[in-house]
Order: sequence, then C-alpha cells, then structure tokens
Amino acid sequence: MSDEKHDPKDALLDRRLLVVTGKGGTGKSTLAATLAFAAARKGKRTLVCEVTARERVSELLGRPPSGTQIKELMPNLFSVHVKPREALREYALMIVKYEFLYNRVFESRLVRYFLDAAPSLAEIVMLGKVWWHATHDLERGKPRWDLVILDAPATGHGLTFLTVPEVFLKLVSEGPLARDMLGMQALLGDERRCRTCIVTLPEEMPANEAIEMHRALQKHNLPQGPMFLNGVFSKRFTPQERTAVSRGGPLLASAGEAADNHEARAELSERYEKLLREQIDVPLVQMPFLFDRTFGPASIEKLAALIGEAL
Amino acid sequence: MSRPPLRDLLAGRKVICCVGSGGVGKTTTSAALALQFAVEGKRALVLTIDPARRLANSLGLQSLGNRETRIDPALFKAAGLEPRGEMWAMMLDLKLTWDELVLRQAPSPERAQQILDNKLYQTLSTAMAGSLEYMAMEKVYEVSSSGRFDVVVLDTPPTSNALDFLHASDRMLDVLNNNAMKILLGPALKVGKIGLKFLALPTSIVLATLARFTGADFLRDLAAFMGAFEGMYEGFKDRATRVQKLLKSKDAAFVLVTSPNSLTIQEALFFHGALKENGIATAAVVVNRVQRDPRRLGGPDNAAALGEALGLAQIPDAGTPPLHERLCSTLAEQSTLADLDRREIERLERTLAGVPLFSVPRLRRDVHDLAGLWQIDSCLAE
Repeated sequence: MSDEKHDPKDALLDRRLLVVTGKGGTGKSTLAATLAFAAARKGKRTLVCEVTARERVSELLGRPPSGTQIKELMPNLFSVHVKPREALREYALMIVKYEFLYNRVFESRLVRYFLDAAPSLAEIVMLGKVWWHATHDLERGKPRWDLVILDAPATGHGLTFLTVPEVFLKLVSEGPLARDMLGMQALLGDERRCRTCIVTLPEEMPANEAIEMHRALQKHNLPQGPMFLNGVFSKRFTPQERTAVSRGGPLLASAGEAADNHEARAELSERYEKLLREQIDVPLVQMPFLFDRTFGPASIEKLAALIGEAL
Repeated sequence: MSRPPLRDLLAGRKVICCVGSGGVGKTTTSAALALQFAVEGKRALVLTIDPARRLANSLGLQSLGNRETRIDPALFKAAGLEPRGEMWAMMLDLKLTWDELVLRQAPSPERAQQILDNKLYQTLSTAMAGSLEYMAMEKVYEVSSSGRFDVVVLDTPPTSNALDFLHASDRMLDVLNNNAMKILLGPALKVGKIGLKFLALPTSIVLATLARFTGADFLRDLAAFMGAFEGMYEGFKDRATRVQKLLKSKDAAFVLVTSPNSLTIQEALFFHGALKENGIATAAVVVNRVQRDPRRLGGPDNAAALGEALGLAQIPDAGTPPLHERLCSTLAEQSTLADLDRREIERLERTLAGVPLFSVPRLRRDVHDLAGLWQIDSCLAE
C-alpha cells in the first residue's frame, strides 16, 4: 500500500523491538497485532507486550487474555500483559534476590505509594521488562525472541513512556536502576535494533497529535518506522456521478446518501494523507477502513496481507 | 424517545462535568454546551485541557496561561447567532495551576520558592497520579466560586480510569502526606539529609534497599519534597473536601460522552458505575459520531434494482465496476456501520436504563467553529 520504496535491508520487521504508539482509539492494538501476525507468518518468533490497562491483542486474534504469563496465540506469536506491580516485583527480585527482603521493602503500601507518587516508576519497570525480553531473554544462549512488539500507551502519555529513562536519569544517577535505564535508552535510540511507529486516523485531532508525536520523537532521537494511517476511505465515485445520483430521485435516495457519506470520508482521508505527507519525514502506510461486522483474526490477516509489502 | 432536551436536564446547574474516554468528542460536546448556555443568556465558561487546534484557533483561544478568554461576539454574528449571554473559554495549564496553588497555600514566599525550586517538584508535580484531574477540579472550584460565571462546563482530562478521576484528590493528598513514607524518611525530613548509619535498624534496611534501586540522592530529594509540603496539607485537604462536596451537590451534573464504538461504550459504562458507587447520578449520556442509516430514506438496495433506478433517472451506469455495483456495495457498507452503531447504542441504553440518551450523528465535516458547535446543539435540543 505504501508508495515509497524500501531498501530490503531496512525491513521494519528485522528489528529486535518495534514500539507502536498513537492517540487513543486510532488502532494501536490493531497495528501491533497486524505487525505481529506478519512477522509470525515470516517465521519470526514474536512476542507482543501490552502495557495498557486492558489487553486487546489476544482478543483481536480470537484468543483468551494472556495475563501476566506469556501465552502462545498462534504459531510463532506470543503475548503478555505487562502490569506495573508484577513487573516491579519481577524486577526488584532480580536485584534484591531475597523474597523476604522484597516483602519487607516493597510491601504493598510502599509500592502503592511509589507508583502513585511517580507513575514514571511504573513506566520504567514496564519498559524495563520489555527491554529485558528484547535484549536479555535467552534460551540456550540465543535470544528467545526474534522480535518484540510493544503496544505502548497513547500519545502524550506515550511520549512520557518512551522518554522516561531520559527524565529519570536526571533524577537517579546511580544504582542498578540507572544502569538499566541507560540500556533501555540505548535500545530505543538504536535504529538498527528498534523503531517506533505512530498510528493515526484521517481526522483532525489524531492527525495533529501524530505530527506532534513525530516531531517529539525526532527531538528525542528516537528512530521511527513508517507512520500508519488507519481507517482510510478511498474515492469511489466521480464528482459527476455523485451529483447525478444525489439528484436521482427517491429511488436513489438511500444509495445517494451512502455514496455521499463515503465520498465525504474519502475526502477527509485525502486531506489528512496530504497533510501528513507534507509534515512528516517517514513513509506513510495506509490501512483501509474495514467494514467487518466483527473485527477479529480474519480482519488482522487481511490487514497483514494489505500492508505486508511495506514492512 | 420521550425525554426533555439536554438544556432542560441541565437547567440551574453551576458545574457540568463532561466525562468519558479520550477521542470521543468530549471537548466538542463541552464547547457546544457552553455555547447553548451563552445563547440562552448565561455567562458560560468552558474549561478545556487540550482542544483541537482548529477549534481553539477559530474561537480565538490563547494556549497559554490559564486565562479566561471571552469568545468574540463578532464570531457569533458570523455564525448567524445572537447570544443573550457570554461564552468564555479557558485552557488549563497544568504546571501553572500547580504553581499557583503552591504560591497560594504556602505559609511564606520562601517556602513557596523552596517547593518551586525542588527538582522532584519540577519533574513530578505534573506527572503525579491524579495530578491533572485534581488540578482540573481545583480550577473548576476556583472559577465557579468566583461568581463570575453562571455555569462552568469542564472538559475532563482523558482519564484511563473513572476511579482515577473521582479519587484524584485522595490519591494526590496521600502522596503528599503519606504516613509510611514520613516515618521512613522521618530522620531525613528533619535533618534534610539521609545519614543511613544513624537510623534505627529496620528502617535502615528498608531505606538501604530502596537506595540500592534509586540511589541515596533520590531519597534525599524525595524527603526534601515532602518536607517542603509539610504544614500545607490541611489547606489542600480542606479545599479538596469542598471540591468533592460541590461535585456531589445539586449544583453539579455529570454528562457521559461516548462514541458508538464498543470499547468506548464499555469505558462509558464503567464510568457510569463508578459515579454511581460514589453517589453521583449520570445526568445524561451523549453519543457522538453516530452513523445515520441511509436505508431510512427508502429505495432499493440490491444491485439489479439500483441499475434500473439509474436507467430511469438517465444516469450512465459506467465505470469499473459499474456504478450500480459500486452504489450497492457502498450502501451495504454504510448500512453495516449503522447497524453496528445501533447495536452498541441499544446495549448502552439497556444498561443505563433511565438515563436520557442523546445521539449526535456523524457530521460531514470536522466541527471546528461556532456554526459546527451550533449544529451539535440542535441535535442535543431534540
């Protein structure tokens, strides 16, 4: 679907970590599931990490929620729900090593206090877990995952999420937390190993937020993959047809309004596609609006086939 | 549907909170409500967090400085409206609201400066859990008790969780006045510096372990942060209590805003439940961007009959695929969208039994000026 040519060596799916972000409701989880599906089909052992309050990817692929334990959704495709408290516990135990000391120090009120006072701490440990899977999770000496996909929080919050190592390193400069944050920062900033992809819609707020996010990522030196424009309507009628049908009398009233609605949305799609192409420095990949009555594995497979060549 | 228009349901309320998940058109609904009140003769203020730029620009809003801006009467004239009242708008600046609060509550200018200069305050005040929600309510309380406005419409922050919104003040206050942390950091609070070796053993193990993660510097900064707020807690708490009282009173109304998408509806239902648990009734629910069903206009929907209709109207059935086929599939697609929306709205209506529901159709263009807002008001007036 993309009209930009890609260097095959630059294939998006050949990273260790792909981060998907965008405004709420733009289709982040849909894109994460689609990318994971495409990667798994190419034979890559793929892990999707969801950090938002509710798991979506497993549901999109027609499977029960994975929860905080990694589950296989289909051959080569796994997912896990990363939650702050569980991630903090895992992380803290890796460093403290003694359960009793963990319980003593991280007993729930204190943990709750820290997570409230500094939600960035929750973000650090969640990002830390994703980073660990992408770089340190080994099986017989080899990386357990070919590709890790992070379904990140919405923009605004998403940028906070990705820049949390940068911000926290200003406050915390010593200890294992600081060391690991440097590692996370290095991974997020390494274009050979990681790309962040923004997903957006042909509507004003999502498109503007996508442009702002794109610039913010550039400013923070976080390399980007293509931007994905989701829910695209393509023009289907000539202006003459549209006028003729709308004046075609009562027999064509409903068809005329449907055609008119369709073209109005196609015009919006065109306008925002143009705006985005003018404003961003990465390729734009269009994902068509799907009229599926139930959005499920078949829809994801369709989308994966449609955007496959751009990956 | 036998329910009064939205303005009657909200008549006499001083504070209206539009709640719902992000991207459902909360800002537009809030602005449309304020416009409605202004047209009817009220002095109405819409307090928003992050409006669409075109809407903000077209209303002449400044993005900076927590300033109340009156919408230029000339803009109303251009939109063919003659308001009997005034419409005002303000964009909330989170950092500035925090700073103002600190300056107002601090016992001395020196103490205020001490807080404003704290490294943790600068980084975390705007990121602290519940901070944005708390400050939004703080601002609502301030403007609504100032007497300058008859009604204040709050476009609430896009909260991921309804409970976060309602308990924002509790959570914030707990952060600033947490007993466990005070005991833990107690010696540091007093000396302003953590001397690990002087601490009692259990505390020192805890602190030392924490310090292994964060470094001792961080804990020292945290102690300084909490210490700076010492003594201001009562003022914060008193204000928070009054805000809560206002929101639960007859002066306030909550409007649930959603789109017909199953995920956002789920979120709306969750919001509704959380409000109910806190003794707050949902005054109305507004469903934005509802697909109108083209089939309501009648006419055939199968390819053969559409082909004949084209023939009768002498419209060339050209193109690939031919026009009648494209019309047929487009009609089917738009009908599917309408069916999906209807199904979701019915589910919402069933679950929210008794709450008046207003459905605003998907408009051809993005709403970004007074004329567009007025179009929404006419849907809410039905």
